Amino acid sequence: MELLTASTGSYPRIGDLAEQQRHRQAYAGREHGEISEEEFEQVQDDVTREAIREQVKAGLDVVTDGQVRWHDPISHFAKKLEGCEINGLLRFFDTNFYFRQPVIHDKLVRRGSILKREFVFAKEVSSKPMKPVVTGPYTLAKLSINQRGGHFRTLVDEFAEIITQEIHDLVKAGAELIQVDEPAILKNPADFQVFKEAVQKVVGAKGKSKIILYTYFGDAAPLYSKLIELPVDGLGLDFTYSQKLVDTVVITGCDKEIGLGLIDGRNTKIERESEVLRILERVLPALEGQRAYLNPSCGLGEYLPREIAFKKLQNMVSIARKAREVA
Amino acid sequence: MTREKLKRIGLELPMLPTTTVGSFPKPQYILEARRKFAAGELCAEELKRDEERATREWISLQEEIGLDVLVDGEMYRGDMATYFANNLDGFKISGLVRSYGNRYYRKPVITSEIRWQGPITVGWWQFTQRLTSKPVKGMITGPYTMMDWSFNEYYPSRRDACLALAKALHKEVKALSRTGAKIIQVDEPAISARPEELSEFAVEAMEVVTKGVNAYFITHICYGAFEFIYPEMLKLPVDNFDLEMSNSGLDLVELFRKHSFSKDLSFGVVDVHSRVVEEATLVKERIGKGLKVLKPEQLWIDPDCGLKTRTRDEAVNKLKTMVKATKNVREKLDRKA
Repeated sequence: MELLTASTGSYPRIGDLAEQQRHRQAYAGREHGEISEEEFEQVQDDVTREAIREQVKAGLDVVTDGQVRWHDPISHFAKKLEGCEINGLLRFFDTNFYFRQPVIHDKLVRRGSILKREFVFAKEVSSKPMKPVVTGPYTLAKLSINQRGGHFRTLVDEFAEIITQEIHDLVKAGAELIQVDEPAILKNPADFQVFKEAVQKVVGAKGKSKIILYTYFGDAAPLYSKLIELPVDGLGLDFTYSQKLVDTVVITGCDKEIGLGLIDGRNTKIERESEVLRILERVLPALEGQRAYLNPSCGLGEYLPREIAFKKLQNMVSIARKAREVA
Repeated sequence: MTREKLKRIGLELPMLPTTTVGSFPKPQYILEARRKFAAGELCAEELKRDEERATREWISLQEEIGLDVLVDGEMYRGDMATYFANNLDGFKISGLVRSYGNRYYRKPVITSEIRWQGPITVGWWQFTQRLTSKPVKGMITGPYTMMDWSFNEYYPSRRDACLALAKALHKEVKALSRTGAKIIQVDEPAISARPEELSEFAVEAMEVVTKGVNAYFITHICYGAFEFIYPEMLKLPVDNFDLEMSNSGLDLVELFRKHSFSKDLSFGVVDVHSRVVEEATLVKERIGKGLKVLKPEQLWIDPDCGLKTRTRDEAVNKLKTMVKATKNVREKLDRKA
């Protein structure tokens, strides 16, 4: 059994220090036409480097690009597609973060690679393995308004086709571990069949790379036995919603890799080492020898101040080190 | 019905009372004064003088518009959660957190036991009520929303944090009531965030807040997702639900057809997110829709949400249209009766 530490996605792009305002200032500057698109891209590159550097400095084994360029996990994909436009803001699950909602009015067509360039840049500048994060087809469809009519299944299917192409491009660009986010399934278990078909399709493009499916913002316990049957290489789970999920994993076992979201990505309270260690002591033996990642319950970029995000990651790395010593 | 309750506590309101949700746009001089105050260039008394001036202006505007139940307009508040966090024991304020796009805000952080230090809004309520003969609503942010919008570093669970807030806010409600507030609004925009928590503790928290206080209670809820908490939300011990209706395509009306709405309803008939001032006929149509599923005695008329993001003129014109449309409907109801 191997325990690694990983990021779960986004990282705060600004902080409270004067020198951490660049992204915000450049964003405003671009809105007011004071800086060019190229200058803004330059800042996005720099802040991406910063986000990676901080994750590496915190000691993570697997990092992300911090999703610095993303407006949100939904419109970042939808805005690059034909057949939909981007509507107003809507609350992202039960958080205080808002995403721009896609309105689908025609068949969806991918005009070109969405994440490839971002991934290639991030992989290049990182000294640690870079994990691209892709929003899953079911969540993309579920959070869109379907104005063209027709079946929801057809829409999921179109998104699945698009995400399959994304995965294909990422694999070709050298991604070895890909995180696919499907938070929306937790609150919509009745859609599991449609969801499963979409996952199956997406997984078909993975080649030799590994796909780890992340759910969060809800209790995965009721769906756990179905989730572990999916043809993915790993599952990422948010443990902040239910006390029972630990029991479920321990009792049911897990023959896949697992992302243990034991670090609350939405609360500033720094985890108590002893509490996390106690859970790890129970969960790790249930993992049937597969690799485990200790990671935040969700991306940190929209939910925590930067200073706290860094502290959380540092603390997480130190907990993982202790856990390895104990094991 | 709650019409009788209104009478019992000494409030005579016309049919379809008109009101607003709470916030109004701040005039330029307030924005300037708040900036200066934050920079240490203005003292608290000077800021307060400006806030009082703006409050007076909004009171005369509301009277001129012809609203029946008035608000202080929240000239003295920044964010509705942070304002209360700043005035209760147990809170700190966080670093910057992203809200969307390039928007960042600071969140309250619960770091120790939450306690009521003394009146928070009572002084403003009293100041405002003295300016008018119309009833002024007492306004607080509810315990569930305060909990959901704060980081919790102290209490073991969301439930514990929420109930601790409820106890503290109950004292504020009692103080408002003792000072003479007869209508008290408890804002709970976040209450549909986690539907299962409604029965787990949100209803209980509202019971703690309102218990034993002789006032007409309103709760304001927005950001949709009612389909997940209706009809359970009717268990919240308040007299009036103030809901966003025009921004939600009014599908709540369909919901009420399935399970009838048993309380009073402040029916949001103008969209606060749009710059466009609605036509009176559209507002009348919306009121008409409300009257299809509710008795006239159950219905209050107001905008979807606080108007603070609109310009002064947009806000005033939206409210004028709303009052005009309501008067028209009232006359029609009178003729029928």
